[in-house]
Amino acid sequence: MSPAPKPLEPLIMHPRPSSIVAALYTLRDLDVDVVILHGPAGCSFKHARLLEEDGLRVVTTALDESGFVFGGHDELVNILNKVIEMFDPESIGIVGTCASMIIGEELHEAVLEVNPDVPVIEVEVHAGYRENTKGVIIALESALAAGILSEEEFERQKVLLNEATEVEKRHGAASKEYLEPSRGDTKYTVAKRIIQLLKEGKKCINILNAKKETGYMFADINAAVNQVAKDLGSDSVIVNMANLDENLGLDRVRAHARNIARDLKGMGVEVHEIIGGLDEYPVTGETVSKLIAEKYPGFDFAVITGVPHAIPMDNLEGMEVISVTNGPRQVLPLKEMGHDHVMVEIDLHPKTLGVSNIVESEFGATLRELAREEMQ
Amino acid sequence: MKQIAIYGKGGIGKSSTASNVAAACADEGYSVTIIGCDPKSDSSITLLGGHRIPTVMELMQQRVEITEKDVVFEGYKGIKCVEVGGPEPGIGCAGRGIIVAIKMLQKISTVMQDCDLIIYDVPGDIVCGGFAAPIRKGLVNDTYVLTSGEYMPLYAANNICKGFARLGNQLNGVICNSRNAENEEAIVSAFARELGSELLAFIPKDPLVQTCERAGFSVIEKEPDSGIAKVYRKLARTIIERDSACDPKPLTDARLRELTG
Repeated sequence: MSPAPKPLEPLIMHPRPSSIVAALYTLRDLDVDVVILHGPAGCSFKHARLLEEDGLRVVTTALDESGFVFGGHDELVNILNKVIEMFDPESIGIVGTCASMIIGEELHEAVLEVNPDVPVIEVEVHAGYRENTKGVIIALESALAAGILSEEEFERQKVLLNEATEVEKRHGAASKEYLEPSRGDTKYTVAKRIIQLLKEGKKCINILNAKKETGYMFADINAAVNQVAKDLGSDSVIVNMANLDENLGLDRVRAHARNIARDLKGMGVEVHEIIGGLDEYPVTGETVSKLIAEKYPGFDFAVITGVPHAIPMDNLEGMEVISVTNGPRQVLPLKEMGHDHVMVEIDLHPKTLGVSNIVESEFGATLRELAREEMQ
Repeated sequence: MKQIAIYGKGGIGKSSTASNVAAACADEGYSVTIIGCDPKSDSSITLLGGHRIPTVMELMQQRVEITEKDVVFEGYKGIKCVEVGGPEPGIGCAGRGIIVAIKMLQKISTVMQDCDLIIYDVPGDIVCGGFAAPIRKGLVNDTYVLTSGEYMPLYAANNICKGFARLGNQLNGVICNSRNAENEEAIVSAFARELGSELLAFIPKDPLVQTCERAGFSVIEKEPDSGIAKVYRKLARTIIERDSACDPKPLTDARLRELTG
């Protein structure tokens, strides 16, 4: 007797984030010094390059046709020895690829042979998982096994990752069979609209709900709304909410929260409500909803940056909703949720790697420039 | 717990040996699990009265939620049978199938831990990384090589020992499944000795094995009083009791030809 097939989830045709890359970013968040990608030289190149800007050293075993056929054990041992000799790392990650995992490479055999005296996090991952968060979970499991992550933090991260996956299925990149990439509404038009609302003294909920380091640029937009209101002499009440809890998450993520909060303060922006940590973007929605319902009813418009699709619409109904994402495939789902204006900060993520200060956003710059023109 | 794998040239009788050893151990009251790692999924068929069971990979391909009861089936005297399954000849990647299926089994079932004897029936030579997965993932602690006294099966057995040497895996013994080759027992005995191991059993060629298998049974179940059943029982006892192993020293091809010449 065969078990009943579980309903097939729709096949998703558009390319989506890779679990190998997700593992790389996770090792970066764990402050690993060097990562060896065990596989072909070109695998995950773009992200490996970007992560170098963020202080993570990435090397590859550069498996070729003969590596696929004869196995890459010797190559991995060789690179592992070289990495130790050249960089004297305090921790090392080894990340699998589709090629090395299909041929059954055992990362652990190379580690046993080299026997380094620093922790090595072995991540047996390929890009063939339906959800890229699988790459994060495998990396965290390995970090737990290597003793560089606490059980408590591991469990916390697992809950967040499952929620992140659900958010993507509900209103994100995994919500439809095919999503057309789009640049969304023009920044000029939406900036004009915000200026008009501020001039009319409309009440604004200004939310930063960013994923980790992307907050460095998204926060600039929330800051610009405050600055422009001040410059225009607007009577608008602006309530700032941000997921900038400095006491939650991995050390690196807490540091981002501290840096962004410090810069916002320097820009004269007061954060009225902390809605979670920078890794809690998938679970802040309920907090925001509750705050609006209980503490801030009757507001006229909302500006939401970062992961706007994680904020439920229930208590945003009746408000004019303006959101900024960095995913061109996020425009359509946000419009379908009922957002009135959706903008995309193109190439936001690369610009937030290797920084520790807020960086200027295109929409923030547009808003400031239009406000200046307005005042002349 | 004994975790064993029997390797050898394709068609040399690994599945027949594995199922008869499994049945003999079950007769003695041991709890036994057999994991068939051949994409043909025929390792357990003679323990299940000739019936085929759904394989781990075919269920994964259907994307159904898999639980233990979907893939672990009780055969002769409660022997737990699992078939990894895999692609049709000529497509896909059977080796990856073994890796994926074993990971899945570890997640959903305790059959790989809760028994006295677990037998991995792995096809043919260890042709790729996946086929070595049970060894490399630390799931096998005893390995046996099955061969006849003919040149090609010996060549394959010798080659498998090269693989063991490379993987740092020890060899617990050599088993001869006779093809009625001339001087067969002496040849395989010498081969085993020169590897640094020993010949543990000489299984004579007996048409009864084929007759029982065609009917869907092991000889242990169908012809328990036959001479061949006695041979399998003796081998089963040897495997259960055996605790010595060697680092195999593969022979040169010239020496192999000389042995069989």
